[in-house]
Amino acid sequence: MGHGGSSERLLNLALERFGVWLRSIVVCLCGALGIVSADAAEIPLAASLLVPAFLACGVRLYSLRRPRLFPSALLWTLDAAVLVLTGLSQPVLGGEGADVMVEAMVGISVVAFQYEWATRPVAGAALAALGAVVSVLGDVFSSPGQSPDLVPLVRMLIQVGLSRAAYLIVRALARAADRSAAVRAAARREMEVAAARRATEREYLATLHDTASATLLMVSQGDGRDWTWLPPRARQDLEAMSAVPGFETGSVDLAALLGCVPEGEGQARVRLKTYIEGPLAIPSGPGLAIFNGVREAVTNVARHAGVREAELRAWTEGDGAVVELSDAGRGFDPESVPARRRGISGSIIGRMHAVGGSASVTSQPGTGTCVQWRWHGRAPASQAGDGAQATGVPRPPRAQVQHTADVRFIRGRLLYGTQLAVLLISLVWQFTISLRRLVVHQDLYRPAWAQTAAFVCLAAVAVIGGAYLLRGRRIPPRVRGWSLGSVLAVSAVCAFTLPPEQSTAAPDWAFGVVGWHALFLLADLRVRVYAAFLGAHVGLNASSVFLSGAPTAAEWATMGISTIASCGFQLSVGVLMTNLLHGTAPAAGTAAAREEELRTRERIHEDMQRDHKERYRALTATTVPLLVGLGHGVLSPHDEEVRLRCGVEAARMRRLFAESDAVLDPLLNELRACVEVAEHQGVTVSLAVRGRPGEVPVEVRRELVDPVAVILGRTRSTARVTVVWTPLAVRVSVVSEDCADGRGTEGTGGMEGTEEAAQAHGRATDAKVTVERTTRGGSVWVEAGWRRPATSGVDLT
Amino acid sequence: MSMSDNAPVSVVVVDDHPAILSGVEAWYAASRRPITVVAAGDSVGEAWTAPGSTADVVVLDLQLGEGGPAFGSLRRLVDAGRQVVVYSMRDDEKTALNCLDLGAATFLTKSEGRDHLVEATLAAADERPYMPPALAGALGTNTRADRPQLSLREENVLIEWFQSESKELVAQRLGISVRTVNSYLDRVRIKYANLGRPARTKASLVARAIQDGLVDVNDL
Repeated sequence: MGHGGSSERLLNLALERFGVWLRSIVVCLCGALGIVSADAAEIPLAASLLVPAFLACGVRLYSLRRPRLFPSALLWTLDAAVLVLTGLSQPVLGGEGADVMVEAMVGISVVAFQYEWATRPVAGAALAALGAVVSVLGDVFSSPGQSPDLVPLVRMLIQVGLSRAAYLIVRALARAADRSAAVRAAARREMEVAAARRATEREYLATLHDTASATLLMVSQGDGRDWTWLPPRARQDLEAMSAVPGFETGSVDLAALLGCVPEGEGQARVRLKTYIEGPLAIPSGPGLAIFNGVREAVTNVARHAGVREAELRAWTEGDGAVVELSDAGRGFDPESVPARRRGISGSIIGRMHAVGGSASVTSQPGTGTCVQWRWHGRAPASQAGDGAQATGVPRPPRAQVQHTADVRFIRGRLLYGTQLAVLLISLVWQFTISLRRLVVHQDLYRPAWAQTAAFVCLAAVAVIGGAYLLRGRRIPPRVRGWSLGSVLAVSAVCAFTLPPEQSTAAPDWAFGVVGWHALFLLADLRVRVYAAFLGAHVGLNASSVFLSGAPTAAEWATMGISTIASCGFQLSVGVLMTNLLHGTAPAAGTAAAREEELRTRERIHEDMQRDHKERYRALTATTVPLLVGLGHGVLSPHDEEVRLRCGVEAARMRRLFAESDAVLDPLLNELRACVEVAEHQGVTVSLAVRGRPGEVPVEVRRELVDPVAVILGRTRSTARVTVVWTPLAVRVSVVSEDCADGRGTEGTGGMEGTEEAAQAHGRATDAKVTVERTTRGGSVWVEAGWRRPATSGVDLT
Repeated sequence: MSMSDNAPVSVVVVDDHPAILSGVEAWYAASRRPITVVAAGDSVGEAWTAPGSTADVVVLDLQLGEGGPAFGSLRRLVDAGRQVVVYSMRDDEKTALNCLDLGAATFLTKSEGRDHLVEATLAAADERPYMPPALAGALGTNTRADRPQLSLREENVLIEWFQSESKELVAQRLGISVRTVNSYLDRVRIKYANLGRPARTKASLVARAIQDGLVDVNDL
């Protein structure tokens, strides 16, 4: 990942801000202090050096807000200028105080540069080298003749190296977090895309059921009735079929929509008594789902309830809406409705689930029927869950849960990274800078063994904590408590076995290092706790100094600056860590979630369009021309041949709906769907199955069942449908009287037409389904066969 | 057993459903060759006691009362040398194959009764093979290890007869005569009889088929 994932990107940003602010504050504070404490004669010169340095810091701070305003070469030059100017100010200010101050300013600046220029390590390294040169020159100019002390220089370079190493560790973990987040996001995306596709599929099938399928079924059953409604309805159905579902946006007034629910006409008219508390503004997705469901339910009242009126109520509930349609008709037992009947399961319940709402049907034989739709604003736009959803139970928004999990994960990785980095700093610092000081100043300690024991104790704390960390475990609370106590004891022992005038000076090896040990132990707690520890640490040292007599103002100043340079810096790192864990991690999680959502939406959009094209193409060859003909009056519903074709298409659609059922024997299920349409038309169908069912791919099933749909759709008497499974093949056959065959050329033409259509139906597959057709007298026998793959033919029973 | 094509046939019908009994009697009454129902009732006892005990053919409903399929009754009747036409509500291949194994003359589902019961009864009386479509479907998809070896054509004829229930349609599709279709079906039935449980009825079925030139001894 060239530009890195969201964690890495935001980590770099946070570190840059940290580096710039830390350095600017230190330079400005120490510089101001230097100017104030300088001799009056030196002030103009010192100010002319340091004020431009302050301005350069200001520009750099401003550049944080406008990242692209300044070229990075200019920013680097400004940073170098700050270093040079502060270094030059050392001989100007003069005195020991100035030495300490400038050393602190340069030392902290070169560390800060490693974060400020984290993504350009060469620039950071060049600034560190410049800092080293500046501090050497500063020493040379301020105390001419003395050879420069190399020890502070080496110390500075160690600190720079540690800063860079710490950054690399944290970045590696941030990258790992980004990578694994990306992997999990990809898996999640697949799931969501699949769920969205299923939901759209359901919606599309429900729409087909209520529009084209219903229309075709009516035409195929119809006789001498009034067909004036048909052309506009057929045209509407065409529009509904070609519309891509799932892309409705904005909100609608449900009250207005419900006012348009058609009551039906003539015999099928249902008088609706409406009691609607409008307006009911809800998103158009759920709004249309409710509207379509109510439309279907009203036609159900006309068809099945045996009454001519129903009550339609709608009201708001919380931030959602409830719609209820009730009748006092003959009712039914919802349990006894077969799964293939889609009026209730698809048009009413499935459709509401697809948009995140719920619907329920309450009925008993003899007590009327009540259908209720519920939608609440909380519900997410898409959801994978199926099955009945208890209303009124708040569901945790899935995206929110996911987001929290992501943040927790990123936070965990960043915490681990920072702990590792601080552990490294603790150990390296203790065994380089501190160890040297301890060894060199052995003769100053009273007693010396106490300091050595303290050193060993501190090393043990780091090693024990490091062992837990490297094994990927959290440090147990008891261990943490003991470790912290030990660190504080080390601080006390070292403070009280050191001559007070040496406090915070070179022999005080412990003062600068215990803070790192404590930070490593307290990294996951609030920064307040760490600040309290540092307070105690500084308090112990101050009290040891105080107990041996009040120090002079100059001593106070030197100690103060040393304290700020070490403990202040450590505290700022503690603040940075808190910031990373509680600011950067959530931001990274949010950014990742947003990116993922975009990608998911893109994928869903693409897939839906493709799916829709596929589905639509499956119907273009057969259903669409028929609806176009009916819609524009070219085909007449009075024509028996047209009605037969409508029957065929209705059966085909039922087969399409049955495709998405989860059943053990999908082939039989799809055949039954076609058989049901025929039985609806009064055809007596016998269905017999022989052999052991096996797997048949959906595109093969389409071709196997289609001839049955065609023959059944064209018969008005009896038919025999069989499925024969042999180890080698599956054979689907239908025998019937063909109504159209006795009608001469016109009928034959019609038959050929549907067979061509059947070909088009199964186009673009190399399923190798063979269709054989035999006619004799009025009988027609069509058999579709498919050779099963060799492996599935083994029968072990 | 009479060889005459017009000799009257006596039948005992064992079925626990009165409507079925009266339907069966009506179909027999319409037969050109006289078929007399000498006894009828809801118990297998009818076939063992006079006058049922001497009937040429036993028509047996496999599902009597609350118990499971009456395979035991079928076995005892076959062992006694009776010609049994199993007449069942059950339309599954397992039951059909079991009945054939036990030595039933043929297996008919109740939905096939109108078209096939009379012919099946006459065939049983004459010890000729008879293959109704449901049984053909069961034999055509039989995958048991002990099944007889069938030729591809024989298997095809079985399945197509099951599918279309019309020998004319099968003959037309395969470009053969209805007679040939019949001989394929008969041959399959003989192959099954030859492999089945030793029983007098089976032996006579095979002997009769060889005598009629339906199969060659070498084929078996």
